[in-house]
Amino acid sequence: MIAEIQNADADTYVLLQLANRRFALPSAIVSELAPPVRLHTFPHTSPLVSGVIVRRGRIVPVYDVASILLGRSSSVHRFYLIARRNFPDGSEGSAIPVSGECELVNAKLQEASENTRPHISGHLLVGDESIEVLNFDALLASEPAPHNASRRVEAQS
Amino acid sequence: MKIAAQEKGKTRRARHSEQMILFTVANRMFAIAAAAVQEIRSTDSLAVSANEIEHSEILKVRHTLERSHQTYYVVNAGAHFGLPVTRPTLVLILRQLRVAVLVDRIERMAEIAVIHALPLAFAGEERRWYRGLTYIDDHVIPVIQPAGFLTTDEFHRLDSAINAVPAPRHLLGAFQA
Repeated sequence: MIAEIQNADADTYVLLQLANRRFALPSAIVSELAPPVRLHTFPHTSPLVSGVIVRRGRIVPVYDVASILLGRSSSVHRFYLIARRNFPDGSEGSAIPVSGECELVNAKLQEASENTRPHISGHLLVGDESIEVLNFDALLASEPAPHNASRRVEAQS
Repeated sequence: MKIAAQEKGKTRRARHSEQMILFTVANRMFAIAAAAVQEIRSTDSLAVSANEIEHSEILKVRHTLERSHQTYYVVNAGAHFGLPVTRPTLVLILRQLRVAVLVDRIERMAEIAVIHALPLAFAGEERRWYRGLTYIDDHVIPVIQPAGFLTTDEFHRLDSAINAVPAPRHLLGAFQA
């Protein structure tokens, strides 16, 4: 899939599966679909971060985006999708657990309406399905639901 | 696309490897530079020399220790990191700081050549707690920042609580060993 992504243009998106829902990410920010390697955890206070994985000698933070997108943590995942998150001081590879294989599609982005959640930048029409396109930076900066936020400093391993 | 190329320099490669003490608290492993630790003692041996702080506002600090005419604050590492309550058996007396740290046990020593920068994703108190992360025997282990156990403000409040005579170096929480 990586070779395909590297040849992709601006209208190319990676469709990812989270539980029974599909979302899309611009392929330009996606770097890798990684196998379910070990999640390493240690005490911290960053709410959406569930731990780190090691890929190609680098330490990659893992975000539990299911709590934002599905309203609950997803305990079942088969892969990690690694994409680039931008910060004011740089960018870093960031992983999100996904439930199944990802798919590369070419489609035109339909702009989001004004009352859409900030982590949704629009949607794609793929067949009969309307798929939300994620604003990765906004998604990873989101605050999790209160019941998830309460696990602050829950040191997981 | 090539994230690896964009993230050069985020991993600090030490010119020389660094000796670390690997210790556990509530079954979590941490690394601290051996050079940052002055002495390791059993908690039993401190039973007579530790003093309880009455009305401590800082819940992770309940006792003080007198060493070399200095008052050391005993930080419960489990409380500091928000871990479940355990029964610490050892205390790490730090160098350069008036801090002693209660831990469960020492696992072993290890030489570390590479400390990875803490990913930017970690934006909370952990940025003060850790110097970075290291990877040993298939485990990612946080490397402790010794100065992160107590802030300057916490030193102030603890000094007030024990009614210590304030001296500039006390307030900074540092002294010359």
